[in-house]
Amino acid sequence: MTAQLSFIGFVRKNLWRRRLRTLLTLCGIGMAIGAFVGLVGFSNAFEQSWLRLYTSSGTDIAIIQQTFLNTSLPESATAKVTALPTVAQATPMIYNVMDLTPEVNALVYGWKADSYEFESLQFLSGGPFHDGQPEVMLGELLSGSLHKKTGDTLEIQGSPFKVVAIYHGGSALETGAVIMPLDQLQQLSSLQGKVSTIHVRLRPAPAGEAPDEYLKRAQAQIEAALPGLRAVPAAERAGNNQFVRLAHASAWGTSSIALLIGILGIANTMAMSVFERTGEIGILRALGWKRGQIMILIQLEACVLGLGGGFLGIAVGWGALQLLAAMPQTAGIVSATLPLPLVPEALGISILAGLIAGALPAWRGAQLSPVEALRHD
Amino acid sequence: MTSPALEVRSLFKSYDEGRIEALRGVDLSIAGGEYVAITGPSGSGKSTLLHMLGGLDSPTTGEVRFRNVSLGSAIDLDTYRSRNVGFIFQAFHLMPTLRAIENVQVPMLGLKPCSFDRAARARDLLKEMGLENRKEQYPNQLSAGERQRVAIARALANNPDILLADEPTGNLDSVNSAKIMEILIGIQQKRGMTLIVVTHEDVIAHAAARQVRIRDGKVEA
Repeated sequence: MTAQLSFIGFVRKNLWRRRLRTLLTLCGIGMAIGAFVGLVGFSNAFEQSWLRLYTSSGTDIAIIQQTFLNTSLPESATAKVTALPTVAQATPMIYNVMDLTPEVNALVYGWKADSYEFESLQFLSGGPFHDGQPEVMLGELLSGSLHKKTGDTLEIQGSPFKVVAIYHGGSALETGAVIMPLDQLQQLSSLQGKVSTIHVRLRPAPAGEAPDEYLKRAQAQIEAALPGLRAVPAAERAGNNQFVRLAHASAWGTSSIALLIGILGIANTMAMSVFERTGEIGILRALGWKRGQIMILIQLEACVLGLGGGFLGIAVGWGALQLLAAMPQTAGIVSATLPLPLVPEALGISILAGLIAGALPAWRGAQLSPVEALRHD
Repeated sequence: MTSPALEVRSLFKSYDEGRIEALRGVDLSIAGGEYVAITGPSGSGKSTLLHMLGGLDSPTTGEVRFRNVSLGSAIDLDTYRSRNVGFIFQAFHLMPTLRAIENVQVPMLGLKPCSFDRAARARDLLKEMGLENRKEQYPNQLSAGERQRVAIARALANNPDILLADEPTGNLDSVNSAKIMEILIGIQQKRGMTLIVVTHEDVIAHAAARQVRIRDGKVEA
C-alpha cells in the first residue's frame, strides 16, 4: 500500500468520500457531454455526408443564389456556365425534404437525365429514369424503409411515381434519398424553370497554375458571367448550406443547454462539499495551506468530476451514434464511427465545465477565516 | 540580547463590530525554546491569544512579532503558519479520509515537492510517536491518544520553531494526558522548540517554565 500522499490523491479521496453524490454528479455531466458528442457528432457526420455528396461526383463548385430569402436560381443559367472556358460540365438540380409516408421523410433530388451526378451511383437493380416521366430511383436504405423495389409505385404528394431503379450512392445523403427527373420535382415544388443549385465540374487546371488559384479564377469567371449568383467551392458549400447550418445550430444549442445543467450539477456538488468541509478547510489553513492551495484543491475536484463525466459522456455519445446509425430514419446520414476530433473537444469542454462550476465554491472556500472554519464543527 | 521568539504588544481583539472584546491590551514576550502555559477561566481569551500567536487571525489593534518581525505586514500569515508553527488541537482535527501517515503529510503538500520525501518524513515522525505499526490506520481506527499523537506528528511535519497546543489533553483520560504531555515536553526540550500550551489543568500548567494567566482579556500581573 503506497504511503505517499499526493495532491491528486487527496482530491481523489475527497471525491470518493461521498461516492453516491460523486456518481450522480458524474452522471449529470456525463449526460450533458453525451448529448454534445451525440448531437455534434451527428451534425458533423451530416456535414461530412454533404461533402461526400460533392466529392463522390467530382463536383468542384456549387452555384447558389446570393440572397438569403430567395434560394432558387434560373435553370437557364446552366447554359451560360457550360460555355465558360474553365467549366467541363454543369448540371442543374433541386433538393428538398418531403414526407413520403407519415413515418418516413427523405431528401428528394431532381436531376437531369444526362447529369454527370449519375456517375457516383451504383445501380443495384433497374436503370436511370427518363426526363419528363413520372419515375423515381430509390437509395437502397430508403427502399428498405419503404419496402419498395424496382417496378413498384411510390406516391409523392398525391402523385404516383414508378420506381425504376434501386441504387447505392457515393454519400449517405444519396443512399437514403429519392432521385427523380428535374422537371417532375420542379412541378411538385412549383419551381418551374428554377433550380436550387448548379453543380460544376471544372476542366483540369493548366500546367503551372496552382489548384487554389485556378479554383479562385473559375469562381470569379462564373460570378462575372452570372451577376447576383455565388460560385462556392464544394468544401465550403458542404459546411455552409442551410441544412448543415441548421443541424450545427440545433446541435450546439441543445448541447449548450445540457452542458449548463451539467455545470449546475457540479457547482451544487462543490458548494455542498465546501460547506460540509468547512472545518477541514479551517484545519488546512491552520496547517499553513494558502488560499491559493485551497482554491486549487476545490477546483481540481471540480475538474476531476468534469473529466470523469467527460469520459462517461463520450461513451454515452458513442452509444447514441450507434443507435442513430441503426435507425432507418437516420442511418442514411450518420455513421456509427465516433469522429476522433470530437474526443479532445468533449474532454476539453468537460474540464472547462468543471473549472466554471468549481470557481465560486473554490473562491468561497478560500475566503473562509481559519478561526471561524475551525469553530464550524 | 537575543530578540524573543514571540512578542505581543498592546494586543486588542474584538468581534462583532467591537461588541465582544476577547483581548484587551495584552503585552507578552516569549523566549525561544521556552515552555509557557496560558491559563485562565473559560472565555477569558486564552484560545484567542493562541490564535493570534499562531497567525490564525489578525489583531484588531496592536501587533504580534515573531523574531522581531511583525506578523501580517512583514511576514505573510500563511507562510508563517506553514513554516514556523505547528498546531495541536483538543479535537485532534485529523482528516477522516486519510490514513495516519497521509495525515502527517498534509502540511508538507506544497512545501516538499517530492512525495517520497514527504512519506519518509511522515514515517520517521510516526516512529518517534511510537505509531510505526499504526501508520496505515484511519483516524476512526485509532484510539484518542493515538489520534493526538498523529496530530503531534503532523504538527512537527515542517520542522516548526513554535508548537501551539490548545487544550491538547482535553479529550483524553489521565493516562493518555500524561503520555501526551511527556511527548510534548520531550520534543520541546530535545528540539529547543518554543512550546505554548493553553490549558485549564493545573498539572499541565505547573509543569511549564512559566504560566501566563489571562482573565477578562488581560494578562494578570
